[in-house]
Amino acid sequence: MRDTRTDRATVPAHELFLTCLKVGSLSFGGGLTGWLHREFVQRRDWVSDDDFSATLAIAQVLPGANVVNLVVCLGEELRGPLGAFACVSGFLLPPILSVLGLAMLFDRLGQFPAVEIAMLGIACAALGMLLQICWLGLRRASGSPRRLVVIATVVVGVSVLKLPMILVVLVVAPVSIWLVLRQG
Amino acid sequence: MTDGLWQILWHMIPLSFASFGGGPAIIAGLDLIVRQNGWIAPQDFLHLFAISRAAPGPGTTLATLIGWRLAGLPGAGLASIAIYLPSSLVCYLVYRATSRHRQTRWHNAMREGLAPVGTGLVISGSLALIQISGNGWAGPAISVGAFMIFQGLPRVPAVLVLIAGGAASLLLAALR
Repeated sequence: MRDTRTDRATVPAHELFLTCLKVGSLSFGGGLTGWLHREFVQRRDWVSDDDFSATLAIAQVLPGANVVNLVVCLGEELRGPLGAFACVSGFLLPPILSVLGLAMLFDRLGQFPAVEIAMLGIACAALGMLLQICWLGLRRASGSPRRLVVIATVVVGVSVLKLPMILVVLVVAPVSIWLVLRQG
Repeated sequence: MTDGLWQILWHMIPLSFASFGGGPAIIAGLDLIVRQNGWIAPQDFLHLFAISRAAPGPGTTLATLIGWRLAGLPGAGLASIAIYLPSSLVCYLVYRATSRHRQTRWHNAMREGLAPVGTGLVISGSLALIQISGNGWAGPAISVGAFMIFQGLPRVPAVLVLIAGGAASLLLAALR
């Protein structure tokens, strides 16, 4: 594995497209970051582990789906703007086509109550994934009153006061960053 | 362009720019938009959410499905572009501009400051979905059970947990 950023690899755009197409097709049930790590770092050695982690942090901080952002950054890193486009389009094409296919299929089957009941169960199980993210976030924040106050403010604003989410983020995010900078 | 397509652009592009917290924030935002505008019934929203989780790829393909419900295949295409393109452009530009000085104080403050905002958005999104699925105890029981498996047995593939959730739902319905 490479360990410096100066040793920059250039990967053909079609290879990036095909690799992302593969991850996009096979990544059932989440865990996409793990898939990308496996393909870009472990199997192909295109980026170092450290660079992957740093890129992931940026992808998580910025708006947008984390994995899509991650793929944008990896593409830019390896092949510039064309690489970013190749990665995103390869990554999103299979999921978009398969959700549409599934939705059309379920609309046909939807008249059977059993399908409806099973789909509700799947949705509730998927909600378990979100609960896990809540749990991990709260656990990381448990030692920090600043973090807990920010979390509580967002939840009260969005869920209790029913304010527009965008408004809440645009007000709370700068304050939260300012609090970190002030702490030093 | 039809009214439905304009509606998709008008609501989803701002959401894309403001979706700090990633996928869960987008899902929470879509839920709010759909409810505020009365686009589709809450039960149907949950149904589409389940489909987006059962398919491969990011759960944010829920936006594609909402676009499809509103305006057919053009709606699906436009919603996908509206939800993914703006945030991807921002990410691309910021990554280019900052990739040279990653360890700066400003960068760390951004990461540290935005993380709890993301957590808050995920909690709000989960609360909204719990409210939709809340008739009887079967739904919440499946959610909590799935959470415990995801947390306690991280090696179990997520697809298996989702299938088990569907099976448990059928079983509980049959027993009642």
